[in-house]
Amino acid sequence: MMSEKIAVAVDDLTVAYNYKPVLWDIDLSIPEGVLMAIVGPNGAGKSTLIKSILGIIDPIAGSVKIYGKPYSKQRDQVAYVPQKGSVDWDFPTTALDVVMMGTYGALGWIKRPGSKQKKQSLEALEKVGMLAFKNRQISQLSGGQQQRIFLARALVQNAAIYFMDEPFQGVDATTEIAIINILKELRKAGKTVIVVHHDLQTVPEYFDWVTFLNVKHIATGPVKDIFNDDNLTKTYGINYKVAVQQ
Amino acid sequence: MNPMLEIQLIAAVTAAACAVPGVFLVLRKMALISDAISHSILPGIVIGFFITHDLASPWLIILAAFSGIITVVLVEMIQKTGLVKEDTAIGLVFPALFSIGVILIAQNANDVHLDVDAVLLGDLAFAPFDRWMVDGSDWGPKGLWIISIILLISLALLVAFYKELKLSTFDLGLSSALGFSPVLIHYGLMSVASVTTVAAFDAVGAILVVALMIAPAATAYLLTVDLKRMLLLSVLFGIASAIGGYWMARLLDASISGSITTVLGLLFLTVYLLAPNKGLIAVLFRQSRQRIEVSLLTFLLHLNNHDSLEERRVAHLQEHINWHRVRANSVLDLAVKNNMIIIEDEVVSLTDKGLEFTERALDYIMTNKDEKIEDMKDDFFLFRG
Ligand SMILES: Nc1ncnc2c1ncn2[C@@H]1O[C@H](COP(=O)(O)OP(=O)(O)O)[C@@H](O)[C@H]1O
Ligand SMILES: [Mg+2]
Repeated sequence: MMSEKIAVAVDDLTVAYNYKPVLWDIDLSIPEGVLMAIVGPNGAGKSTLIKSILGIIDPIAGSVKIYGKPYSKQRDQVAYVPQKGSVDWDFPTTALDVVMMGTYGALGWIKRPGSKQKKQSLEALEKVGMLAFKNRQISQLSGGQQQRIFLARALVQNAAIYFMDEPFQGVDATTEIAIINILKELRKAGKTVIVVHHDLQTVPEYFDWVTFLNVKHIATGPVKDIFNDDNLTKTYGINYKVAVQQ
Repeated sequence: MNPMLEIQLIAAVTAAACAVPGVFLVLRKMALISDAISHSILPGIVIGFFITHDLASPWLIILAAFSGIITVVLVEMIQKTGLVKEDTAIGLVFPALFSIGVILIAQNANDVHLDVDAVLLGDLAFAPFDRWMVDGSDWGPKGLWIISIILLISLALLVAFYKELKLSTFDLGLSSALGFSPVLIHYGLMSVASVTTVAAFDAVGAILVVALMIAPAATAYLLTVDLKRMLLLSVLFGIASAIGGYWMARLLDASISGSITTVLGLLFLTVYLLAPNKGLIAVLFRQSRQRIEVSLLTFLLHLNNHDSLEERRVAHLQEHINWHRVRANSVLDLAVKNNMIIIEDEVVSLTDKGLEFTERALDYIMTNKDEKIEDMKDDFFLFRG
């Protein structure tokens, strides 16, 4: 299932907002085919890390490679689910329309989505169990439904690597299970899935790899090897007694 | 064409041209920046006028639009220092640029055919006097040509880049990740807004430009949840206010720009009160319904928990739950109307339907699972968030 190929390689990455570094000299390499959690306290720079990998933020220093090439050459390999709070859910648009946005990258400038893109989007909606809501205005969806829409939009991108920023934020238990099942399916299909995750309790159950991050990179590796008190303490500063179920 | 018709046409086309970028400014919560642009293009206009001596020259439009872009860049630079917020940055930049413009006018009052009143309020009534003459034949007012061309360009850009504009307005991060540079789109939009402002400025003045950009879009936003419809409605509202304002000005013998601004304001106020979903009255109605429905649920729960005959008497319930009589009645009515209770001999009992409703509502409140109560959303406001 897991090959030796490196999907994402981050080298000496340093990022600052207004000259205050929020990521400091990050080295990270993520093998192809893992389902990986990124954990760390609030403000640790998890979202910033993803944004710099995707070229949304310009780093001060360092480089990012997706399958050995710069991100700008590999856009079609990568799908992105931003943090839910980063968009305006009162925007005048429907669930289907938001999912269709996932097809824009492949279309390029000016070209408009057509019936093929619509069909793909409807299939993705079906997959996340949201087909019945396709014409619903997005502000009329619950938090969990909004996350499903975002997931569907990423599925439509049909990429090799998926970055998801807190996809479980504000969702109920049923939706959480539905989402994690889809992520596990993606991994089975050989995709690499990288998820910013908050609930330390569920890390061993959901993920096979984990990255600890708090401004600096603390550790990356298989959950069974590195998800332990030592790394949790280094990341969160206090002694975390998390029962690691193997 | 007679001047009356020409004035209305100029006002209507200007309104339509302002409404298009206005929709995106409103959705991007950048209403303030249009105010900033409309004021800070003044130095550009004055300097352009020194050079060209023609208020309708394309060079003047380009120069002035350029000072609009400089405003945007300055605002962003100040904001990036992290010392002040965006609204403060805007508040710092545009009075500075505007006052440079005012000083330039004051210093050269003899040469320049501009005064500050005209800048703020514009003068639609005079717009038809400046005509475009080709080989001695009259092609109509220059202002009408300029604003029409700008409207056409901005419609063409809107059609071409609709998807990019929508994506980058809704989701900056994804737009950037997919390679649709939000910076490029942002400056494209700002350029269109600046050029439109400059062209509209001469005819209608700074205040009306801002009103024409923001008010129709803000009004349309209250009425629709579809971006295309919002664009269409904004253009229609703009045109209707322009023509309505013109006739109001004639009727009251008032300033045309002032009247159009007033109509825009009244239109917004009306829609703000009456809009079916987002309007104030609809919101208040929904809240009062939700309050009654919460009482209904409390009432049904009470029935469910106290099933002795004595405790289910109407009089006892009204006294015991300690509601205002009217309230208790409207709750009882609602429960009876929905077949949730039956009242026999002044004794209330829960029906199967009432029992099911209670259980599902309780389940929803405890778990917040939306899927299960989808079918109840249509009948009850309680479940519409
Ligand atoms: N646009 C921004 N401007 C300034 N500071 C920011 C911005 N975005 C994030 N930060 C700061 O950068 C740090 C890391 O933020 P973020 O990457 O969002 O953390 P996380 O996702 O781990 O909670 C935080 O201290 C946050 O306050
Ligand atoms: Mg974050």
